[in-house]
Amino acid sequence: MAEEKVVLTKTFSTKPRLKPKSKKPSSSPESKYWASFKSSKISNLVYSINSIDFSPVSPHNFAATFSASFTLFDSKTLEPKSTFSGPKDVVAYSARFRSDGKLIAAGGNSGIVHVFDVKTRRSLRQLVGHTRAVRLSRYPRFDNLHLFSGGDDSLVKYWDVASETQIHEFRGHKDYVRCGFGSPVSSDLFVTGSYDHTVRLWDVRVSNSESGAMVFNHGKPVEDVVFLPSGGLVATAGGNVVKIWDVIGGGRLLYEMESHNKTVTGICVGRVAKDSSVESDQFRLLSVGLDGYMKVFDYSMLKVVHSMRFPAPLLSIGVSPDCMTRAIGTSNGIIFAGKRKGKVEEKEESDKGGFLSLGTVEPERQILKPTNFRYFHRGQGEKPSEGDFLVLRPKKVKFAEHDKLLRKFRHKEAFVSALKGKNPENVVAVMEELVARKKLLSSVLNLDKSELVLLFGFLQRYSTMPRYSGLLLRLAKKVLEMRIEDVNSSAMLSIEDVISSDILKPADVISPNILKRADHFVSSKDLKGEDVSLVDALKKLGVEDVNLADVLKGHVRSLKRAVREELWIQQSLQEIQGIISPLLRIAGRR
Amino acid sequence: MITGGKSYVTSAPAFSNDGKRLLVCTGSTVSVFSTATALQVFELEGHTALVTSVIVLPVSNPSHKILSYCWTSSLDGTIRYWDFSVPEMLKKINFKLPIFSMVIPPIREQSAQNNQKSADLFAYVSVEAWTTKKTREGESKALHRQVQKFNLTKSRVAGGITLAETHKPEQLIISPSGNLFGIKHKKKLQIWQVPPRDSERAVIRKIKLHHTKPLTTLAFHPSERIVAAGDVTGRILIWKDIGNRTFSERDRLMDGSTRHEDERPCVREDDDADSCSTWHWHSSEVNVLSFSSDGAYLYSGGREGVLVIWQLETGKKKFLPRIGSPLLYCIDSPDPSLSVISCSDNQIHLLKMPSMEVIKSITGIKRPCSSPEIYEGLLTGLDFDKRAGLVALRTQNYRIQIYSLLDNREVSEVQVCERNHQPGDDVTVVVTLVVVSPDGSTMCTADVKLSEEGIGGLVCLRFWASGSQSTEFILSTIIYEPHRDAGISAIAFHPSRHMAVSSSYGGDFKIWVSNHGLQQDNQTVQNIAWTCHAVGSYKKKPMTAAAFSNDGSVLAVATETYITLWNPDKNVLIAVIGETLTPIVSLSFVGNSEYLVSASRGSNSQLCIWDMSQLSASWSYKLHAEAIACTTDSLSFAVLVLLPTSSNNMESNKNAICERDGAIFLFNVQTPVPIATWSVRKARGGSLAFLEIDDRSDVSQSSVMLAYINGDHEYILFDPYGKETSKLSIIRRERTAGTEETGLYGYSSIYGELREFVPKRDPSPPVTFGPSERPWETIFSGSSHSLPPLTKLCTSFLESLLEKRSVVV
Repeated sequence: MAEEKVVLTKTFSTKPRLKPKSKKPSSSPESKYWASFKSSKISNLVYSINSIDFSPVSPHNFAATFSASFTLFDSKTLEPKSTFSGPKDVVAYSARFRSDGKLIAAGGNSGIVHVFDVKTRRSLRQLVGHTRAVRLSRYPRFDNLHLFSGGDDSLVKYWDVASETQIHEFRGHKDYVRCGFGSPVSSDLFVTGSYDHTVRLWDVRVSNSESGAMVFNHGKPVEDVVFLPSGGLVATAGGNVVKIWDVIGGGRLLYEMESHNKTVTGICVGRVAKDSSVESDQFRLLSVGLDGYMKVFDYSMLKVVHSMRFPAPLLSIGVSPDCMTRAIGTSNGIIFAGKRKGKVEEKEESDKGGFLSLGTVEPERQILKPTNFRYFHRGQGEKPSEGDFLVLRPKKVKFAEHDKLLRKFRHKEAFVSALKGKNPENVVAVMEELVARKKLLSSVLNLDKSELVLLFGFLQRYSTMPRYSGLLLRLAKKVLEMRIEDVNSSAMLSIEDVISSDILKPADVISPNILKRADHFVSSKDLKGEDVSLVDALKKLGVEDVNLADVLKGHVRSLKRAVREELWIQQSLQEIQGIISPLLRIAGRR
Repeated sequence: MITGGKSYVTSAPAFSNDGKRLLVCTGSTVSVFSTATALQVFELEGHTALVTSVIVLPVSNPSHKILSYCWTSSLDGTIRYWDFSVPEMLKKINFKLPIFSMVIPPIREQSAQNNQKSADLFAYVSVEAWTTKKTREGESKALHRQVQKFNLTKSRVAGGITLAETHKPEQLIISPSGNLFGIKHKKKLQIWQVPPRDSERAVIRKIKLHHTKPLTTLAFHPSERIVAAGDVTGRILIWKDIGNRTFSERDRLMDGSTRHEDERPCVREDDDADSCSTWHWHSSEVNVLSFSSDGAYLYSGGREGVLVIWQLETGKKKFLPRIGSPLLYCIDSPDPSLSVISCSDNQIHLLKMPSMEVIKSITGIKRPCSSPEIYEGLLTGLDFDKRAGLVALRTQNYRIQIYSLLDNREVSEVQVCERNHQPGDDVTVVVTLVVVSPDGSTMCTADVKLSEEGIGGLVCLRFWASGSQSTEFILSTIIYEPHRDAGISAIAFHPSRHMAVSSSYGGDFKIWVSNHGLQQDNQTVQNIAWTCHAVGSYKKKPMTAAAFSNDGSVLAVATETYITLWNPDKNVLIAVIGETLTPIVSLSFVGNSEYLVSASRGSNSQLCIWDMSQLSASWSYKLHAEAIACTTDSLSFAVLVLLPTSSNNMESNKNAICERDGAIFLFNVQTPVPIATWSVRKARGGSLAFLEIDDRSDVSQSSVMLAYINGDHEYILFDPYGKETSKLSIIRRERTAGTEETGLYGYSSIYGELREFVPKRDPSPPVTFGPSERPWETIFSGSSHSLPPLTKLCTSFLESLLEKRSVVV
């Protein structure tokens, strides 16, 4: 049945010349994924955003802490939902959700840790004990009854929330405690980072240890610390370095990532979600810094896979647990929140299902069998089942209008239809195909006046583009020679035309060589700035569209101008080359 | 010795009676292909010149379908009778005149029944005869093409009847029923009726049908008296009820209603036909006409590469487009679902009939393609993959065919320029160069798009990387205008690294490197890209040839008459050697020695050996070298030389095509005296290479073979050193066959010695061994059902082993 069919000859469409690919694959699937967060700004918050925390339960709203309050944002609409503020007008820090998302703990300048109810926005408990501002207040991963906090008094305290009593006090740090994180595998372990350059791992079961269960020296004031999801690794940020430590292996330093230029202010763990094309469920470390960069670090391959710049110093970052939303807080009161397009709803449903019943089992669709009557009434949209033999219809090749016309040897029509299209590459490709059939000049000769206007418009716009100029400048000259009567009759422009075709002549001789040289210059990075600006000027020239009463006349005039401009540019390029080439020669000698 | 590369389309193929075999004339042999697999089953060997027609003996009874006998005719003047189920010649009839075409009307049933004794079989042959011997009154021309009748049973010319004389040897065409046959002759058709009771003296009735244009082909309807003919303008004429007056009395198919003289539409004055209708679709001449076996359809084809199916009643058309090259023959098989078309690009396509799908293709080596004159003189229209024994050659439709010389079949084909086949146009896009890297992993092609009045010319350099199967080439890099708008004169690959050089007439050369070697990370390189590594020029002179030395340390680039030597890594000019009289077109290093061979063309064409240690010319010949082949390890090299025309003229005054116009010389670099010479035919456009086939399991043979491809892409592989004596004997034997005044193309008769160019032959004893064709390699190859019986195989196999032993001892 499945006999292979011998295809004798294919039909080819006219294709434009291939463009060189950039040497670096600019967008790996990974960085495509990270760039797919549609960025939107939440501005007018005025104060710098100290911390961002996502609710662990759907719909994953996030709390951003700034000034004296923290605000809950809807993760879908990115609109503020509610604002919490303490009783006194003190600066709030570090609003963090409890693991069930019902409570939020936040520290403040006053040294008091407040625990709020998310729904009622009421302050339920106040944990008093710190003497200085509390920058760290966090619930352990699974424990809903306790929280740990750290303050500028260099103390770390472990609280029983219900009774508002302090259970332990850890005194190991010598400087401000600014960050901490609960272990994802145990509620008894947490790490804190301090400005004394150390990160300490605390165990609440061992209360009397002064220095903590484990100490890592980061070497710089620690701004943020995070347990990686396995629970065996800890990432710390301080200075412009992010370091990864092996906790199980006794606090060994695994890797130093030094890709930020300024202080790294926040790190968090993100996940490459399942529906993207890359391998699913891979965790990445996201870091932001004062240099305005967000970097995505793949700690299994130990390399930065994505990097993104924001126009402000960044202070905090958070990624929702379903990895649909990402929020980055800046120092000047802007939150760059990004949402990824995807199946949020489905996620939600399954989550809801998780609440209502254990395991959402999708009702299996019954497979139609030939015994069923409906089997014979399946539509065309029916998907093949696994055991079916597929008989594929040969794919129909779509041809552009000009290709169809070229196949019928209607050369002028093909030319015009390409000119009417928007893509200059296609036009050039059709021109080259016509040259290969020796029909370009005859089809130019057959153009009537309105089509000639089209051609002139095209020539005026693109003939000085370096990629096409080799063909188009010569063609422009030829067209002017061939169709000069038409141009004359349409406008009293004869003198100017003669001039313009005179001008074209030297351009014709010089330009292909110099254009290539110019190209070369642009590609060699020595002169990039200047040359790019020159090329930009060129492009601008092409853009300005003179809409005179007589379009043809206008086109000819602007073509002339463009060519004149081009000549000037090339002369200046030559001068630049004259300056550069001895330098290059000297450099080559060395 | 391996020969191959013959044309499959010199004459029409024929189906066996069961439709499972296809008999194709391939040079001096007839190859039998299986229609199911499109692979060659075996060959009928025996003719010494081109086989011109093959006729399978038809069987009347379906139960006899397995009978497989055929007649073949050849330019060597013999007609042979074969049993092609076991490839065996049964009978050989010497006709003495070269036969261009032959038809054999089958013996009619009733005549065979009523007298067994005189059921002679007659053949009608189109021959070339010297009328100086067979003098006819008043004619003094030397050569005549005649149609004669020949008694095959008694093997003699039947009664000296000459049916017709033509200027060119014409193709005889017989009707499927076997009672009519005819030829086209200029503007008319000549059609004869085979007498129902054929004998030597039987009267053969004849009619002529006239047309106003030269006719190109004709076809007979299988059952009715309808003949179709195509002319040079693309018209198809169909005469109906031909020969009512002339053939009337004995015809049983006729309905008897003879029409009146005045109602014969379109029929010219005194032609014997009832009506003539004209169809016109083809834009140029019609090459193929054939009726379907049920007579309802007419197939036609021509230069367009489109098979047109006409419904005979209504004239409605269906098409099989995009075959890609001009059609030559269209043959129906006894199996109604299978038919076959031959194309001029040496392909035979098997068609599944009602749906017109191509099931399989039998592909031979492609003919050289025509190109504009400026690119005619270039050396490298083809290149060899020396390790794998492949050759890459330019073909029509901007393609490169990769052909295996050892297996004699196509490996793959690569489309270089993506353009559609337009047969009418003159060539404006030319693939000028094709070069395969020494390891066979990379191919480089250069193509030129000619400009229209200075607008839009384009030179492209393309690098191809072989895919996973190591035979399919995939485009890896395309470089537009690598040397501005100047054309590329030569491309050469580095022998070991991923490096190539392209030289241009614009006065510079560029060294290209691929990122393959540069990548050292653990990550794999997805796409190999070639980038320019260095540019060099010498006094702004056109660079005409380039070559890497065998260790890759020196790059030699010819700048017209000088040779510049460069360090390819640092791009530093090392030395300049010069000079020759005319521009050098080819350069190559000989082995690992310090010698360099250059060939220049023109009025003072020269073959020159340069000593690089002394930077001077060592010795030179004034010869027109067409190709140079160098071994990689020894000091010898072979040159294919076009002989000057003066020496040709004195040999004979025959057609210039069949002359030996070239010679292969095997030289050692140290001595200007050639080690060996062979004279060859059609050397223009030919090529040479030493193949180093190392994957052969057979150890006893030396691995270096010299491959020669002639201008028609027929090739031969032979061992230039070791078994020279036996080789020479073969050559000698073949030469005696070849010197008979026969062949146009006969390939096996190409080789022979060339006395006048060899001052001192090395005194090899004229003792002849048996031809060592190494049958033990190929004897068991092929599917088991198609092998000869085991008894035959065993004897030959044992014989071959014995022979081998004797060579060793």
